[in-house]
Amino acid sequence: MMILQVNATRMELQRLKKRVKIAKRGHKLLKDKQDELMRQMLSQIEEVKTKRIQIENELQSILQSFVLAQSELGKEQIEEALSLPTKEVAVLVETKNLMSVKVPKFTKEVSGEIICYGFLNTSGEMDFALLKFEKFLDTLINLAEMEKKVQLLADEIDKTRRRVNALEYKLIPSLEETIRYITMKLSEFERSNLTRLMKIKDIVREH
Amino acid sequence: MSKVKIAAIGENDVMLIFKAVGVEIFPVEKTDEAIDVLNRLIKTGYGIIFITESLALSMDEQIKKYISLPLPSIVIIPGLKERNQYALKFLRNSIIKAIGVDVMKEK
Repeated sequence: MMILQVNATRMELQRLKKRVKIAKRGHKLLKDKQDELMRQMLSQIEEVKTKRIQIENELQSILQSFVLAQSELGKEQIEEALSLPTKEVAVLVETKNLMSVKVPKFTKEVSGEIICYGFLNTSGEMDFALLKFEKFLDTLINLAEMEKKVQLLADEIDKTRRRVNALEYKLIPSLEETIRYITMKLSEFERSNLTRLMKIKDIVREH
Repeated sequence: MSKVKIAAIGENDVMLIFKAVGVEIFPVEKTDEAIDVLNRLIKTGYGIIFITESLALSMDEQIKKYISLPLPSIVIIPGLKERNQYALKFLRNSIIKAIGVDVMKEK
């Protein structure tokens, strides 16, 4: 392990000891944070996964029925029917602080009707597909929220792990090594000083 | 608390249904276009962006870039083309990155 480039003095020793103490405390805190993030993440994964699979299947069937309706009516017809949607959708975003990770929380805000066309030129299948999709949008938004949470958590766990490792395997050992080095050096000084004094005393006595 | 819009990027056929529910749509055909649109949308501040699977696969790098931002949430949806399980792979990768173990393995 690398020894830090410092002067072997008592003052430096004291400073380093303080630093080690702080680093250890930081390490413990970060480790706790990492554990908690991990726990949060693990509790989410299974849920997100099942939801994802379920949503994908459902959405695909809706899309298929929609495309079927589309092929029945002709593309131009549908495009015309849907060219001026009266429905508007937006989401309200609230950010929640979860272990210093800013997690967005979406609330849907809608206005207008989904069926924005006359019934004359369109088929019932299309209405069904649209109505089904309208309900489905809620789940999609929910999924958006959950997936983002998992992604953000994963990112934060990665960052935290790096910090924990840097402290645990790099900073703390090198600080401790340096402290040991300084203590050795200081006691060596002391011993050499002592022998010097004894020697001098001997010389003085001989005269 | 702020109000943001929802956008969808994908092939034209799939986009119409999103338009009906009031989502802003950006029909694209090529990957380059999609990347341009995505970058622009993120700058203008959209909350949720839906992207179809087949497009997402080819713009993987772009999507990864925006993972660590709190907004927008990019959601991959299946299109009408062949399924490629992009979203699940994506989820698995981020879990492996975080935990170091593949906890999503099939039992």
